[in-house]
Formats: sequence, structure tokens, C-alpha cells
Amino acid sequence: MEIPVPLRRLFAITSILFFVVLAISPLKNALRPYRSIQREYARLGAARAKSQKVAQTYQSRSVAIQQIWLPGLQNRVDRCTTCHLGVQDENMAGAPGVFRLHSRSFHTPKDFDRFGCTSCHGGQGLATLEEDAHGHAENAGSPMTPLPFIESGCGRCHTGEQVAGAAILSKGRKLMEKAGCFSCHLVKGHEGFRSEAPPLESIALKTGGEALKRWLKDPKGLDPNASMPNFRLADADIEALTHFIFNTKPSRLLSEKVSSAGAEKLGDAVNGKKIFAEARCISCHTLEGKGNGSAPELSKVASRATQPWLLAFIRDPQAFNPRTRMPRFGFSEADTRDVVAYIVSEFKDFEAPPDMLNPVHVNQTLAEKGQKLFRQFGCTACHTSDAADRIGPELNRIGDKRAASLDFGKRKDVKHTLPAWLQAKLEDPRSLGQGLKMPAYGFSPEENRAVVTALLSLGAEPVPDRYQHQPATRASLVPGGAVGALFERYRCLSCHQIGDKGGDISTAPLTAEGSKVKKDWVAEYLLLSYTIRPILTDRMPVFRMTKEEAALLANAFETFYLDPSIPEDPFAGQPASSRDPAEGKHIFDTLGCKACHIQGEKGGYYGPPLNEAGRRLKPGWTYSWLKSPQRWRADVRCPNYGLTDADALKLTSFLQTLVQKPNSAKGGGR
Amino acid sequence: MRPLMRSRLAWSLSLVLVAANGCSRHKEPAAAAAPPAVAAPAAEATPAAAPAAEAAAPAAPVEPPLSYELRLGKQVFQHYCLICHGETGAGDGFNAFNVEPHPRDIGDPAFQKAKADPDLKDTIRRGGVGVGLSPMMPPWGKTLTTDQIDQVVGYLRTLKRPDAPPAS
Repeated sequence: MEIPVPLRRLFAITSILFFVVLAISPLKNALRPYRSIQREYARLGAARAKSQKVAQTYQSRSVAIQQIWLPGLQNRVDRCTTCHLGVQDENMAGAPGVFRLHSRSFHTPKDFDRFGCTSCHGGQGLATLEEDAHGHAENAGSPMTPLPFIESGCGRCHTGEQVAGAAILSKGRKLMEKAGCFSCHLVKGHEGFRSEAPPLESIALKTGGEALKRWLKDPKGLDPNASMPNFRLADADIEALTHFIFNTKPSRLLSEKVSSAGAEKLGDAVNGKKIFAEARCISCHTLEGKGNGSAPELSKVASRATQPWLLAFIRDPQAFNPRTRMPRFGFSEADTRDVVAYIVSEFKDFEAPPDMLNPVHVNQTLAEKGQKLFRQFGCTACHTSDAADRIGPELNRIGDKRAASLDFGKRKDVKHTLPAWLQAKLEDPRSLGQGLKMPAYGFSPEENRAVVTALLSLGAEPVPDRYQHQPATRASLVPGGAVGALFERYRCLSCHQIGDKGGDISTAPLTAEGSKVKKDWVAEYLLLSYTIRPILTDRMPVFRMTKEEAALLANAFETFYLDPSIPEDPFAGQPASSRDPAEGKHIFDTLGCKACHIQGEKGGYYGPPLNEAGRRLKPGWTYSWLKSPQRWRADVRCPNYGLTDADALKLTSFLQTLVQKPNSAKGGGR
Repeated sequence: MRPLMRSRLAWSLSLVLVAANGCSRHKEPAAAAAPPAVAAPAAEATPAAAPAAEAAAPAAPVEPPLSYELRLGKQVFQHYCLICHGETGAGDGFNAFNVEPHPRDIGDPAFQKAKADPDLKDTIRRGGVGVGLSPMMPPWGKTLTTDQIDQVVGYLRTLKRPDAPPAS
């Protein structure tokens, strides 16, 4: 049968169309940019290759999509190595741009197959076009993390507070804790966080109307160590809040403490100055910027707090604020009077008006308005004793928020990315919309970067358990009863660590204190503490505790704070030669211990002087320390000399012969 | 009838193909449009842009920012070495004058020239005693990893002071 011409033409056209359509896919594939990148890589690799054979392996590479598939890690498929071919290729060290060898870090280059790329860098692993993969294209998935915040990637798996090797992330996490972010924002792992802010009812006893108004206006302006942020309050709001705060009734116990202190005479400021220095107040506080800075600056404290309050507070800080980190010193009544006399004579704002500390005549209408404001601004989140009253949004998934879902308000200068938004938010929290409540924390640019890094580490989807990494620490053990009460009273955990809890002011954790130091030495030391490492500025205060208290604590260390891996007697079962102090002395000299430690008259000023090492340290500890210092404190500078058991024992036996009593001139205590 | 059948087959095939193509296009919208030649330099721009952004955030430092490895090396140096060798490596750390002989001036151009990387690494690893010098320089080979020693030697090279102008 003859086919008509029009039908033939139709066949011809459809056939051509068919082939065109058929060609689109291979053509599209052939024009993919990664193909030319891979060819360029082969050329570059061959040119850089050191031998003909290696050059040939580059040339014989077939052009194909590369990928790392991690079914166990959120089912990631990272095709980044399709273009970034040189990340594991030593031959590409210093190669230009896309072909560069990845910087060496804790996980690179060895761990690409474990973590892929996007688990640290973010971005879209599946995509093979730069715009899409890096997330710069409109409507692409979440973009890559900018390099200044790259440590946020570490934080996705390393969920602990401090991450070794990620200084910025660790700093950010610490800052979040210090600034009290968790009071208003729920973050996993910090559900139980409670701010150290003083309960409201004690404030009217402490300060005056004018002083309080100045404080509310700009807390950090008055005290750079303040953890209270700036709420940018209008003057009228400050007035109302002041009336509200002065309208709250303090408990009878506290009012009585303050009023009876008010009846006392002023003490002797000269003696007060001596006690102030001895108590080492600036191990936590600062004085004109000098000191640790984890507690308030004191140089103008007498213009913020009344004399009777200071007296009553120093005697029993924990009654005024159960969550304070301040210890209850064992000063006598007269000693406290002397210290306060010194404080009120020296630590004043001499330009402040004389009525700074006068109380406020409460106007009920204003007080009621103030009460509403108090709740509205979320002051309750920090200043109440009840469970946290979080008024901010949960931050658990903030690190994976899409920029499109963020409100940039009227800010035209902020880049439409999550890190930029977070930076702007921390800088000027209320500029990104109307009716926002978050106060300003006054972070420096570096602090801002650290906090943003910590926030970006809070991903939407937690990594599987086997990828999570938290350094193992022993649970914190604090006994109850009389010993526990002493720990509470002297607030040991404000500075020292025990297991996984405690402050970071001291470099001496107490977890294995009983295995480390001799009981008699601790009992003596607690009564008159001196500085063990002269280089440290933060020193242990002299608490003026009683002999009985010191003995009780020394006993507690000896009984509870032990490490089973530290031998009580390392010489047991060892040959007599291991106890030879003369050989130990020889080892001491040849290792160069004196570079850091004073022994005899001379030596370095970095580690603790060792003249009393034998009085202070137990031989089992000294031996265990010498075998591996970093085991006991990861960042300690004392090098691991790789000593044999015999040498470590000899050195221990030499150090045990050093039993000089501390020189009071160097000792500091009194 | 056969050509007709063929044409039908062709139509249906092409329809299927168009549909398949449509699907794949849906997945990667920018695929056809992206100019292939631009991709490589654009990718190059990302790592370079980041240090620039870093520099812009705080008060702009005068010196160019260090690479990641050098920053790690700097951390190691500042933690372990600075105590004796000083911030700039000049051998003037706060502990330097308690140490006899005094620590080496690492910034000295002649010293930097005389020592190759393997020499420096060896001294750091085995200490002064290991290379026949003072025991005051401890061996770090059991404290620092090989990577850390490589990084810190990289950083030491940045501490080299400019050569003194030749005496005329």
C-alpha cells in the first residue's frame, strides 16, 4: 500500500524530532561543568606529578560523578569531590582553588569517608553545580557555612561544652552560658539552667532609687562584668520598674539582717584593706579591671550598695541569693566591719550625687505599671526563684533555619543569610522587626562570632548516637551532711571542678584530690592557703575556716576523692634501686625540669616550685603524673617524657625528699 | 501499516523521553543554563572570600590572615613555646631569663636559613638533649602529634625577621 506524501513528511519530521529529543540528555550531560573541571584536574595533576607513572594515572581517569554516601549519617550523599578532586591528594598541596588539598585538621584528610563534606561545611551534597551545591542559588537548600563560623560543624557531633581544637566554638558555648541565654531560650542539655541573678526581694535592701535607675539604664556601663544585658528601657519604664522593685517586700530574715547591720559602727579601714587582700577577692571580682572578672567589679560598689547591706551580704551571701557563687567567709563580726569600712571609704563613685542610695517613695500606680513591664520584658526569667519562665523561642534547631524564614525587618544592610542574621540579631536585637524584646548583650565582634558559631552548631536533626562525641568525665560527687555543707558554704565548685561539674577559675580539679595530695598538707593549706603556682593571678582565698572544718574537708578528700588507677604506694614490689633519690636527682637535672620548676634557689617560673613537693604530693600521684601528665589535664604544658617505670619511680623518690616548708614571703598567705 | 506503527512508536517514545527530561529538569533547574567555563573560577572564589570576610569582621588586621594550618601552628606555639621563646619567637618569653642557656631566638634569619624543616622537627621531637644541646628544651615528641609538630614548624617560619640589610 502506497503511503501518501503528507504522511511521509510527518514521519520524517517526527523522526528528526525524536533524534533531537534523544540527544538532549547526553548533550546536557556532556556540557556539565564538572566534566571540564575533571579534565582540568587530570591535566593539572599530570603536570604536577613527580613521575611518569603517576602522571598516567591522572590521564587515565575517567570523567564521572564522585560521591561519598553515608547511610549511617543522616543518609548523606556528598558529591563535592566531583569537583573538589584534590581534597585528599597530597600532589595538590597548594594547587589553585577548587583542586586544593584540604587543610590538615583533626579529621582531614583521614576521615572523609566517615563524615563526608557537608557534615562540617553544610551546603547541598547532592548537587553537582556550584551554585546549587554551595547553596548560593535562589531557592537552593541551606547554604554552606562561611569559613569564619566553620567550627559550628564540629559542634554538630561534639556536643560537650568544651571542644578541644575548636576554640571559637568552645568560647561561644561558654559565653552563652555566661550571658544566660538559656534562661529565656530552651536549648537541649541546658534545661535545668538557672541564672545567678539576685532574687528581686533583696534588691530594695541593697540599693537606692537613683543607683537602681542608673543600673537599669546600662548595667554593663556601670560594671563591665555584669551579666545583665541592656534592655534599652525608656526613662518612664525605668521609673515604673524602680517603683515596682521598691514595692516588693523583702523577707523578714533578710530585713532583720540588714537593719541590725545598720546599727553597727564602722570598722577599721586599714585592717579591712589587709583582710581584703588576704581573702583574694579579685580571684573572682575585679578592681579597676584587674582580676578574674567572673564576679562584679568592685571599684564603685559602695555607690551601688548600702553599707548595712554590704555588711550583711558579706556575712551570709547565700541567704541573699541562694545561687550566688560567692563563698561565706569565716570572718569575725569585727573583720567584716573592717572590710566594709575599707570598701565604703575607697570603692565609691566620687562624682555620684549623695542621694544615690536613698530609697524610693513608692507610687502604687507606677509600681503596678512596673510589675507589668517586669513580666513583659521577661525579667522573671532570671530574677525569680521558680522554675525558668522562658519567653524566647527555642533555639534547638536554629543552626539549620532557612534564611527565607527569617525576618530581616527594615534592615537593608544585612545579607540574607542565617549567619549574617544571627550576627545582626546579637549586635542590635530589636532592629530586625517591631515589638522585639531581646536585650542587647554588648558582645565584641569576636564574641559575636563565637556565639554565632555556637548557635549554628544547633542543627535541626541530631547526628546519630554513634557520631556524637562527648569526652567521658566522672560524675560529680558531692557528699551530703557536714562535708556537703562545707562545700556549699565555701562554694568550692565556683572555682574547682569535681567530675563533670564546677567552675573554671582554678586549674586544680578536686576529682582525685585525695589520691594527689597528703592529708596533713591539705588540712594545713586550707587554714592558710598560699599560691602554689606564683604565675597564676587567681589564687585560692584564705577562708578563715576553723581547724575542725579544714580537718573534715581533708578527711573527705582522703576518703571520697580518689582515683583507683593511682597507686597508694608505687614502690610496692619494686626493686630497692627504684627508691634511689640520688639517681632521681640526676634524672631531674638531665630532663631539664628546672626550665619550668624552681628547685633549691633556681629554676623557671612556670610550673609549681618543687621545694615542698614531698610534703604536698603523694608518691603515687607524682609517679602517675610523670608517666603521663596530659592524662590528668589535657592541656597541661608539662611534657610527657616517655619515662620508664624505673625512671619515673626514681624521680618520684627524689621529689619525695623535697620537704621544705613554704617560704612565707613567697607564699603570700599572710 | 508498518511505517505507521513505527511513527506511533516514535511518538510515544519521544513523549516518554520528553516527560523523562521534564522530570530531570525539575530536579536541577540551573543545569542547562549554567555556563560551564565560569564554574571553576567561581568555585575558587569561595575559599578566598572567607578569610576576607573574616578580616572584615573585626578591626582589620594589617597582616594577611594566616592559613588554617598556620593558625593551628600558632595555637600550638602560643600554648607550649611562648612561655620561653616569646610571642615573636625572639627568645624573650617571660620564663626565658630563668633558663640557662637562654632560649633560642627563632626569628633570627641566619638561624632560619641554617635549619631545614626536618632539623627543627627533630629538635622539637627529641628536645635539646636529643640533638646534643641544652636539656632546658624538652622533647615534645610524646606530647605533640606529628601533625602538630609540622604545623608549629610551619608557623615558626612565619616568625622569621627580614634579613638585615647587607653592610656596605
